[in-house]
Amino acid sequence: MVSAKPAKPASPPRTKPTTAKKPVAQKSGTTPAGAQPARSAKAAAAPLVPEEPPVVVELRALRKTFGSTVAVDDIDLTVRRGSMFGVVGPNGAGKTTTLSMITGLLRPDSGAALVAGSDVWRDPIAAKKVTGVLPDRMRLFDRLTGAQLLYYCGMLHGLDRATASSRSEDLGIALGIEASLNRPVRDYSIGMIKKISLAAAMIHSPRVLVLDEPFESVDPVSTAQAIELLQRYTASGGTVLLSSHNMALVERVCDSVAVIVDGGVLAVGTLDEVRAGQSLEERFVALAGGRLAVEGLEWLTTFSD
Amino acid sequence: MVDHVLRLKLALLGSAFRGIPSAVRAVFVLVLAGAVGWALIVLAQTVDVEQEGHRAALVVIATVVALGIAVAPLSAGLGSAMEPRRFAAFPVPTGQLALGLMLAGVIGIPGVLAVTLGIALETAWSGTASAGLGIIAGVLGAVSVVLVSQYLVALAAQLAVSTAAARLVTSLARLTILLALAAAAIAVMLVSQGESVSVLVELSVVLANTPMGMLWAAPDGASASSAARILGGVIMVAVMAGAWPWVVRRAIEAPRRTQSAPSLRGLGWFDLVPATPSGAIAARSLLYWTRDARYRVVLIGLPLAPVLMMVALAIAGAPVPLLWLIPVPVFALFLGWFSHNDVAYDHTAMWLHVASPVRGVADRWGRAIPPLLIGVPLILVASPFAALWSEVAEVYPAVLGTGLGILLTGLGVSSVSSALRPYPAARPGAGPWDQPPMLGVAAGWAQSLTLLATLAFMGPALAIGITGLVENDAAMFALAGWAGAATGFGMLVLGILVGGFVFRRRSPELLELVART
Repeated sequence: MVSAKPAKPASPPRTKPTTAKKPVAQKSGTTPAGAQPARSAKAAAAPLVPEEPPVVVELRALRKTFGSTVAVDDIDLTVRRGSMFGVVGPNGAGKTTTLSMITGLLRPDSGAALVAGSDVWRDPIAAKKVTGVLPDRMRLFDRLTGAQLLYYCGMLHGLDRATASSRSEDLGIALGIEASLNRPVRDYSIGMIKKISLAAAMIHSPRVLVLDEPFESVDPVSTAQAIELLQRYTASGGTVLLSSHNMALVERVCDSVAVIVDGGVLAVGTLDEVRAGQSLEERFVALAGGRLAVEGLEWLTTFSD
Repeated sequence: MVDHVLRLKLALLGSAFRGIPSAVRAVFVLVLAGAVGWALIVLAQTVDVEQEGHRAALVVIATVVALGIAVAPLSAGLGSAMEPRRFAAFPVPTGQLALGLMLAGVIGIPGVLAVTLGIALETAWSGTASAGLGIIAGVLGAVSVVLVSQYLVALAAQLAVSTAAARLVTSLARLTILLALAAAAIAVMLVSQGESVSVLVELSVVLANTPMGMLWAAPDGASASSAARILGGVIMVAVMAGAWPWVVRRAIEAPRRTQSAPSLRGLGWFDLVPATPSGAIAARSLLYWTRDARYRVVLIGLPLAPVLMMVALAIAGAPVPLLWLIPVPVFALFLGWFSHNDVAYDHTAMWLHVASPVRGVADRWGRAIPPLLIGVPLILVASPFAALWSEVAEVYPAVLGTGLGILLTGLGVSSVSSALRPYPAARPGAGPWDQPPMLGVAAGWAQSLTLLATLAFMGPALAIGITGLVENDAAMFALAGWAGAATGFGMLVLGILVGGFVFRRRSPELLELVART
C-alpha cells in the first residue's frame, strides 16, 4: 500500500507519480516498474488486487531549515489512496514541519510536495481544494460558534449554503458535538476544539486529510468516534496522513507508518514492515536512538535523607 | 436590601483611610475634591450672569467639571468600584440592586461634587429671572452626572478584562479629570482677565447643543431654547434612569463578557451575506468588529479623535465654524488606517485562509467590508451637517467626496500593507488596550507609512479642496469632491487587487509573521 525510501539522495524526479513505483524500503528491495502486488495484507478496505492504489501524497526531497538547524532533511514519502498513514517521531523530529509543507502553511526550502497530482507550491489552489487540514497549535476564529466556524470553512472551500449547513450538522452528529455547535468555540474544551477542527478539515470532503496530532487531549470515547469516522472515510477512498506520539493508537488505526527522527525518515512501510515483529513502541525507541544509558545522574539515586 | 448596598458603600469609603499609604491618598483626594467644591461655590457667587462672557464661562466650566465628576469613580481604580457584576453571585432582586447602586453613587466624593455643581448652578442664577430654571437645571444636572457615572462604571467593568486594561481605564479617567480641571481654570482666567471671550462664547454655544452641556446652559438663553434644553435633560435623565435596571440585569445575567447569544438556529451575519468566500470573510470580520474588544475600542475611540482635535484647536483660538470641516476627514482617515494590521488580529487563526483555496482578492474584499459598512453611511450622514455648521458656502461636495475618498484610499492602502508587513498585535481575547510586549520598529514604519501613503494619494484632491477654501471658490469644492471620490474608488480597487496578489504570494510568510506575537 505504501512505499517510500529512507532519507537518501532522491531518485531522479518523476513526472507521473500515479504510475511510477518506488522500491519498498527495507524489505522488498528493488522491483521493476509496473504492476506488482508487493503490498502487505493489511490493506484497509480494498481486497488484494494486483493493481496498487494510486499515489495521493508524494514528497520529493522536501527540505526545510531554520537558521542552521535542518528541520526536514530531504524527505521522500509516498502515500497511496485509501491509506491511514501515521507519521511518528520524537519531539522536534520535524513532523509538524513536514505536514505544514504538505498543507501549504510552511514554504519548503527545496523539494516538492504533491497532493493528488498537484504541486502544493506551484499550483496551490488545486492542491488545497483536495486537502483537509488540522494543524497543531494554531488558533481558530474562536468567537464564531461551532456552526459558524464549520459554515465558514465550507464557504472558504466554495461550498454552497445548503451543503455547508447540512454537512455541518452531519459532522456535528458524527463527532458528538452537535449540542455545542451553537456555542462560541472559545468556550470549548481542548478536546472539543480538536473535534471541531477535524470537522472543519472534512467539511469539503477532501481527498486527503492531513492531521497533526488529531487525538491529543481527546478523551477515549471521542477518539473512538473520530477513528470510526476516519476509517469510514478511508474505506470509501479517502486518504489520511496523521502524526501522533501515541504509538498504541497509531498501531491500532494506521496501516502504514513512517518513523521520522531528526528530519529524516528512518523507516517507512506498512505497519508490519516497520515494526518487524516487535511492538511499534519498541521498534520506535530502537530506531530513535535507543534508551540512552542514564549517565551523570548518580546523585539522583543517593537520597538526601 | 437597598440599605445594605448603601452600608457597603460607606464601609468602602471608610476603608479608604485604613493603612497609611491609602489614608494619605484618601486625604489628598479629599483635599482636591474639597478645593474643587469650594471653588465651584465661590465661582458661583462671583459670577455675573448679566455678562455674556460670564454666562459662557459658566456653561463651559460646568460642562467640563461635570465630565470630570462623571469619570471620577473610575479614577480610583476599579477594585473598589461598585459595579453591578460584583453582585451577580448574590440573590439580590435586580430592581433593588439597581436602586441601591444608584443611591450609593450619590454617596461619596463624586456624588457630593455633583450635588455641589448643581447647587452652584442654582446659586449663580439665584436672584435673576431664570432662578427657577436654574434650580430645575441644577437638580437634573446633578442627577444626570450621577447616572452617567454609574453607566461608565458598568461599561468600564466590561472593558477592563485584564489588569493592564484596568490600569488604562484608570489613567484615562485621571487624565480626563486633569484636562477638565485645566480647561475650567483656563476659562476662569480668560474671563477674569476680560480678554476676548468670543472663543469661550462660541464654545459654549456648541456645548449647549450637546447632551453634555445642554442642562448647564438651560437657564441661559431665550425661553424657547431653555425649555427645549430642560425637556432634553428630562428625557435624558428619564431614559438613563429607566434603562438602568435593565443594564444591571444584563450585566448580572451575562457575567462573562464574552457571552454571545446566538439564536438556536441560524448563523447571524453569515445568513445575511452572499454564500461566497468573500461574503463569509466579510461576515466573520463584521462579527469580530462588533464582538472583539480590540476592534470595539476603536469604534468607541474613533468618534472621540475628531472631537478632541476640535476642542484642542478651539481652545487654541481657531475659528469654531471652520473646525467643523475636521471631523469627517479625520474620522475617515483613522477608520481606513485601522485595517492596516488586520491580518495580525487573526493571529494564527489565519491558517484557515492559508490552507483554503481562497483567492487573495476575496480575502481582501471581505476584510474591507466592515469599515465600509461603518464608515460610508456615517460619512454620508455627517457630511451635510459638517458642511452646514462650517458656514462655508457650497463646501458640501468637498466634505463628502474627500471624506469618502480618504476612507476608500485608506482601505486600499491597508489592504496592501496588511498583506505585506503585519506586525505583532494584541492577541485574540486580549483586553482592548493590551499591546504585545514587543512592537519593534516595523510597527512604527507600517503605521506611519500607511497613514502617509493615504494622505499622499489623496493629496491632489485635498489640495484642490484647500485651495477652494482659501480662495472661497465653490467650483473648486465640487472638483475636490469628485477628485476625492474618484481617487478613493480607484485606490480601493487597486489596493484590493494588489493586496490580494501579495496575500496569495506571501500567505505562508504572513502566517509565520503573525505567529511570532
